[in-house]
Amino acid sequence: MSPSFGRGAMTNSWQDMQNSECFLIAGSNCAECHPIAMKWVNRARAKGAKVIVVDPRFTRTASQADIFAQIRPGTDIAYLGSMINYYIENRLYNEFYVMNFTNALYKVSKDFEFKDGMFSGFNPETKKYDYASWAYQLDAEGKPIKANSLDDPDCVFQKLKEHYSRYTFDVASNISGIPVAKIKLIADTFAAANPGNIFYALGMTQHTTGVQGIRCYAIIQLLLGNMGKAGGGIQALRGEPNVQGSTDMANLNANLPGYIPYPTNKEKTLNDFAMNKGAVQHRPLVALLKAWFGKNATAENEYGYQWLPKNNPSNMPTQTHFFGKMEEGQFKLLLNWGSNSTVSIPDRKIVARGMSALEMLVVADIFNTETAQFWKEEGLNPAEIQTEVIFLPAAFVYEKAGSMTNSSRLIQWKEVALPPLNGVHPDLDMLDHIFKKVRALYAGSTDPKDEPILKANWDYGDHEPSPLKVLQELGGYNDVTGTNIATIGEYLAAPIGTVSTGNWLYTGVTPEGQNLADRRGNADPTGLGLNKDYAFAWPGNIRVLYNRCSCDAQGQPVDSRRKLIWWDALQNRWVGNDGPDVVDKTKGPDTPEGKTGFKQNPEGVGRLFAATYMSGAVATPTESIAAVPIRGAGMTVDGPIPEFYEPIESPTSNILHPSVQNNPCAKIISTEFGNPGEYPYVLTSYGVVEHFCAGAITRNIPWLNEIAPEPYAEISKNLANKIGVKEGDEVEVSSARGKLVVRALVTDRIQTLKINGKDQETIGMPWSWGFASLSPGPSTNNVTMAALDPGAGTPEYKCCLVNIRRA
Amino acid sequence: MAKKMVFIDTSLCTGCKACSVACKAWNDLPAEKTRRISSYQTQADFTPTTYTYVRFKEEYYDNKMHFNMLKLQCFHCDDPACMKACSSDAIYKTESGYTLVDRDKCIGCGYCVANCPWGVPKIDEATNKMYKCNGCIDRVENGMKPACAQVCQTGAIQFGDRDELMPKAQARVAELQLTNPKAHLYGDKLMGGTTYVYLLQDRPDAYGLPLNPTSPISLTLWKDIVHPLGGIAIGASAAAITVGVIANLLRGNYANRAKNIAESHDEGGM
Repeated sequence: MSPSFGRGAMTNSWQDMQNSECFLIAGSNCAECHPIAMKWVNRARAKGAKVIVVDPRFTRTASQADIFAQIRPGTDIAYLGSMINYYIENRLYNEFYVMNFTNALYKVSKDFEFKDGMFSGFNPETKKYDYASWAYQLDAEGKPIKANSLDDPDCVFQKLKEHYSRYTFDVASNISGIPVAKIKLIADTFAAANPGNIFYALGMTQHTTGVQGIRCYAIIQLLLGNMGKAGGGIQALRGEPNVQGSTDMANLNANLPGYIPYPTNKEKTLNDFAMNKGAVQHRPLVALLKAWFGKNATAENEYGYQWLPKNNPSNMPTQTHFFGKMEEGQFKLLLNWGSNSTVSIPDRKIVARGMSALEMLVVADIFNTETAQFWKEEGLNPAEIQTEVIFLPAAFVYEKAGSMTNSSRLIQWKEVALPPLNGVHPDLDMLDHIFKKVRALYAGSTDPKDEPILKANWDYGDHEPSPLKVLQELGGYNDVTGTNIATIGEYLAAPIGTVSTGNWLYTGVTPEGQNLADRRGNADPTGLGLNKDYAFAWPGNIRVLYNRCSCDAQGQPVDSRRKLIWWDALQNRWVGNDGPDVVDKTKGPDTPEGKTGFKQNPEGVGRLFAATYMSGAVATPTESIAAVPIRGAGMTVDGPIPEFYEPIESPTSNILHPSVQNNPCAKIISTEFGNPGEYPYVLTSYGVVEHFCAGAITRNIPWLNEIAPEPYAEISKNLANKIGVKEGDEVEVSSARGKLVVRALVTDRIQTLKINGKDQETIGMPWSWGFASLSPGPSTNNVTMAALDPGAGTPEYKCCLVNIRRA
Repeated sequence: MAKKMVFIDTSLCTGCKACSVACKAWNDLPAEKTRRISSYQTQADFTPTTYTYVRFKEEYYDNKMHFNMLKLQCFHCDDPACMKACSSDAIYKTESGYTLVDRDKCIGCGYCVANCPWGVPKIDEATNKMYKCNGCIDRVENGMKPACAQVCQTGAIQFGDRDELMPKAQARVAELQLTNPKAHLYGDKLMGGTTYVYLLQDRPDAYGLPLNPTSPISLTLWKDIVHPLGGIAIGASAAAITVGVIANLLRGNYANRAKNIAESHDEGGM
């Protein structure tokens, strides 16, 4: 999403779903994994909205669908590419929108090339692309050159047209297994809806082509003009109540809080960083350093920039990599907070190997999870494992106060409902205690490497830390007034170095004396579900991102029933039912600022083609580093336009380019791989409504174990006949990496697919079980594969090759 | 209190089973050890500690999957067979439309079990008393929704006054019938009209429901015709037990009851 629109967040909100006319739910089983979504989907259905579900299985979500298509796991880009092709060929796109709010007219560099499955700039040694050729043609001032019409052969639109011309419905059907007529029906139904909405979740991201799949959604929604509109957009359904919050606070290794690019080892000074990334990143980084180092952060010491460790871009492990690093001895201690990696990591034997090499493992959780007792698993020899394990009993969600940020970017405050029992503490209390103890141990040290710990600003209370103080730190302080920052506008207007924010996106959540996250005003005068007085959504309480795109050239709403914002000529200002997502509220629709639909992108438009681009002249050092007017584009590391690649383990060959079977940039961790001869079936893994993720909590709740007591393997009746099993029989599912025995669930909800002319079976298995808890069960991640999307680092849980036989 | 209604719109149900969990939480019922039976169903039948559960039925025809999910509980009939069959007058109706059991009076004879067309009541072997959904009467009488309706996120379980909710249910059926002629209400005209009324999208047996649930004729004959006379002629309770035993013997219900109890520990159901 970020390389397309500038922000990596769900664009609309849960409540806004009621405004849609059609849902493409593909890569999300929201009825099971985000049940609240169905409340709002059903409200839209009551008004006539259509629901399209594309999934490897007929899920409980599919039971609500008007159109269901069963797809082979990992082939989404094939059918989505054919939809893009169909929309372009048949001029089903929204021409005004495409011309004004996307980079369709921008001319692409003559050096850009796509040939035989590869984009220009690939380095086979590093398995990485050099983005230089994925550029625009620039004028003398360094601005992109725009074509006069969409027919210009150099323009993005024509590149898109050429790229997807290979994606006919026939090709898409052969790859994905969805019949041609059904792909056409999906394409027509979705294009006819205005606005149409797309939902995705882990079904789309857990692939080695995850990011590019979402890019297809972005392209479709930009072509159809569905972005920035009530009832439109792309909804990244977040798994946990606070997953958006954790992402905002930098759970991605290339980020600092607020999606500030993490300084690299090439950016040796704050000045280097500012030159590279521009004022747009320099401002929040300084504010962040001031929040983290308080009075110790001064202009003279680069606000403590040198206390920040720098990233090495050639060595950027993500969570799945860490266990290998532990095994290599790179880590001695792991603080494991609320993660049940022993169950949740693909090819999970790597977890025990890694943890066995640690000196100490600290697990903070509510129950004694599999991770907290990893050495007890059958097959491991506890005598050989020297890891000291410390368990910290953690308070449950209702036993601790604080804020949670949900999918709607809504920061919601909660108080303690029940105090925790003796010896159990909220996470914040534990972290506060650990930090203070650690700092005390370093007291008096003059070693420069200890300075970050000694100089850190850590002030959440003397005895019990206050979660509100944490939120206020995120919301920020103004040094000049000595008060909390009131609005994001105040933060943006303040001279650099005069404000602090722990996360610039959260500015305005805690104006002096207030906590807007704690608001519960339920008024909805427009009936659009904007609920502006309910809690606080970042940025600046905007509920529908990019809402400038809901207006025409005169700045007036194109949809009279779904008015979000508009230009008020009398007031000379953008106003509306929602907070205007515009560059400057006083710049009208006849100004460049007032035309900008995607202000977080350097071009100001939505990116059909994810070009490498830096707005403004590339800087030579100026007097004031605060003024470097550049903004870099978010990049996709594996291509500026999505291309279909087969999953790493695939039952067939890539018919688009047999010589380039998989994503050439994919990061592979597993070492054992199977071939379709030995492992002929495609396994897809998933969560269920009855259990939450790795089951650490839910497998210890008897009522939930009653309604989902065991894992299973869902197979078609054809496959059941072939291997001679019936409903409920035990089966062994195996891959090149491991195996497990479960009972078979024989169902019509999975059908045999026709892939490249051959019958293909899909097997579905939930993954929420492990060897401990009140309801132990075998872990599906015995067989899954650790191969990662090169951009996001998300493992390909959704497809690998397995065999199945009667156990 | 006005007559209440619970409208279960299967077209909105996603089978999340939150209703089943909420029921156990509110009514303080323990979890039972289960295994998956078929599809996503793990609870086979009502038990003395399972008042509501979701049944999953899968049918595939015309190249289309029909995944039918049905939340089951006591229908709270207006003219309940269980009440007619009850040998100890332990089962009674409330003005609001609920069929309840007074366990102080219940002797665990099992006539209710044998005569309910939906197999709802269950006798707990330890206490020898009947248990079933009580409609969360304690919540309802205090102005709250039943626990199952409270937690239903999709809007599939709706609660309200019968006068207001029935027209909505009828309108919803009419709307669905435009595209699905099989859509119909189930319960509104059965057993005197049930408090829990369903919108089904297919024939009742596609959900495992009986087409024409009725009170057994012998029971109707006894309770509505013979019993009023008999009550005058001989002691009412003696007559109730005597004739009740005969009526049930005629139908082979004692054998059925034993089978029922056995099945509730296995799979099967109604």
